[in-house]
Amino acid sequence: MRKALPLIIAGLLAVLPLLGLSSYWMHILILVIMWSVIGMAWNLLGGYCGQVSFGHAAFFGVGAYTAGILYNKAHLSAWWGMPLSIVFVTIVALIIGYICLRLRGPFFALGTLAIGVILRVTAENLTGITEGDLGIMLQERTWIDKTWYFYIVLALAVVTFIAVKMIIESKLGYYFVAIREDQDAAESLGINTTLYKTVALSLSAVFTGLAGAFYMNYMGYIDPKIVFALHDISIVTIMVVMVGGVATYWGPFVGAIIMVFLAEIIRTIPKLGAAHHTFFGILLIVIIIFLPNGIVGDLPKLKKLLRIGKAA
Amino acid sequence: MKRLTLIILIAFALSLSASTLFAAETFDLVIPLPLTGKQAKFGEMMKRSYEIAAEEINAKGGIKKKKLNLSFEDSGAKPETARAIVEKLIDTKKQPLIVGEYTSSCAKAVAAVAEERKTPYLVVASADDDITRQDYKYVFRQNAVNAHYADGLVSFIKNVAKPKTMAILYESSAFGNSGADAMEKDAQKIGVKVVLKEKYEAGSVDFKPLLSKVKAARPDVIYMVSYVMDASLLMKQIKELRVDAKLFAGGAAGFAIPEFIDNAKDAAEYVVTASLWCFKMKLPGAKEYAEKYKKLYGDYPSYHGASAYSALYVVKDALERAKSWTPDGIRDALKATNISTAFAAIKFENKEGYQNQNFMDTIVMQVVNGEHECVYPDNVANQKYVFPIPTWRERR
Repeated sequence: MRKALPLIIAGLLAVLPLLGLSSYWMHILILVIMWSVIGMAWNLLGGYCGQVSFGHAAFFGVGAYTAGILYNKAHLSAWWGMPLSIVFVTIVALIIGYICLRLRGPFFALGTLAIGVILRVTAENLTGITEGDLGIMLQERTWIDKTWYFYIVLALAVVTFIAVKMIIESKLGYYFVAIREDQDAAESLGINTTLYKTVALSLSAVFTGLAGAFYMNYMGYIDPKIVFALHDISIVTIMVVMVGGVATYWGPFVGAIIMVFLAEIIRTIPKLGAAHHTFFGILLIVIIIFLPNGIVGDLPKLKKLLRIGKAA
Repeated sequence: MKRLTLIILIAFALSLSASTLFAAETFDLVIPLPLTGKQAKFGEMMKRSYEIAAEEINAKGGIKKKKLNLSFEDSGAKPETARAIVEKLIDTKKQPLIVGEYTSSCAKAVAAVAEERKTPYLVVASADDDITRQDYKYVFRQNAVNAHYADGLVSFIKNVAKPKTMAILYESSAFGNSGADAMEKDAQKIGVKVVLKEKYEAGSVDFKPLLSKVKAARPDVIYMVSYVMDASLLMKQIKELRVDAKLFAGGAAGFAIPEFIDNAKDAAEYVVTASLWCFKMKLPGAKEYAEKYKKLYGDYPSYHGASAYSALYVVKDALERAKSWTPDGIRDALKATNISTAFAAIKFENKEGYQNQNFMDTIVMQVVNGEHECVYPDNVANQKYVFPIPTWRERR
């Protein structure tokens, strides 16, 4: 059962578009899956390797802009951005890693936070390449129907899931966890911590960048304030993982459901109006207080709670 | 596990049933707006204005005897959310037309969806030039494009101020960029030399380094494109540094709303700004709407509100003329729109590379005795402009 679970869920998701869902629900589903990709990518670095990044918008944005600039300047399909973003995002990740991975703990977090903002300002000012604040707009999106977007992002999610699982269950994964638990001890055991932290960062960045390139194709419009957003991208990424479960395979998926699906449902409750942020914020606080390891991380605890509820 | 799935199912069912409640005698119109976040100020003003218009329309018997039933959804100025709202309106609620949004990035996201789904979309206050330059057939815009926002002001500068040099300061945003670029071109056209063109991060607190540069360049005109807080802060610090110029000019948005005067106080005096509308201008209906708004909310609205207020009249007019209340029927009716509203005369044209764009005359407002007055062009002005303006030293 446990082994088959990923297959079952992927299968269930794959048949969803056949149910004839409205394009509104498809949009929400696509966003959920896109966010779980970003969450899984962040988890690789933040969850397993213990390097908390507040700047994942940097990679998301570089991925999105790779696709956007290819379309805008080279007049290629923005879909080429997906394979090409791997190259550009890796380069950016190596540069960022070279600078930021010398820092530890909160200093690394602050460093990445700054990098995210720096890239936003850079994109705003390199008007010759990025069109600056005017952003890049696709004249026409590839499909009106959402089915293909859904399958593309689902495929991306499946690949990310398998990659994360394979990495974590390999020797590399053990190195990551060793670095997270105690960097000095890992170093003394002969693990080249700087190298493996860079590897974790690059892998994490690549998947985030792919999601960014997908976003460009799917939404059809980007500008620096959208794709390099501190709050709407970097922080939401962290929340997806924190709420779902740090260093778990399913955490990002569950977190994405809550951060996108539940947020949307709460937003559309009639008459709640502008208070929906407050309401959703309280919900997040409750989750974090009672389930500090996230919903998946604290699943046994959650099960116990629900059983007590049934008995009473 | 069972319990959990049950809860999820219930939540799902609730959210679906909430959207299918439907009454036959009303026409439901859901408007996406930014009601939270940085742009909430403008969203709020527009929401109130839509409500005033809906009330008036319903008091006079509604649209073809159907009561107009408004509701709003908060997009938080996020394009994904704006898109989600519009997808839902088109799919689940079968709303035959879309009205609303404020920021240009959201309007772009909505416009793309509207065009793909062949549902007419009326843009109310998003200024970015590109929105109506995409060969869209279902996207209509009733406010002027950013490139023309300052037309009235440019003519004022050319005919009244007659400066030799100009400095342009603008915030880092789509609105700021296109506004500054348009002004640079216009300045060259009328023979004014742009000595300085500087961008700043929106939301800055210290403009002094920037203003020192301006002071050193000694421009005749300082033209600024900013939102609320930056606009008043810029003028305050200009006053503190005693940067003198023949004319302080703003490019609508932050300079054209009452909060600018509230925040900048006497530093706002004599500042002129481009604007699309002013309740004091000679335009039937403008004054009545503004007074009604003031009575309800204690402050006068700016052009954003007026545009929203008039948008519902444009919708009413189109719906009354439409052969059928289907997206295509309404689109054809919108295309043939030719009415005057409290905001401007509205007619959707294809010219200068824009499609379905309303071209309107823009005006110049000046702050005189702590109030925005409409001073230019003369045919709509309610008062003569003050020019030349006193230097900071001459003011008390």
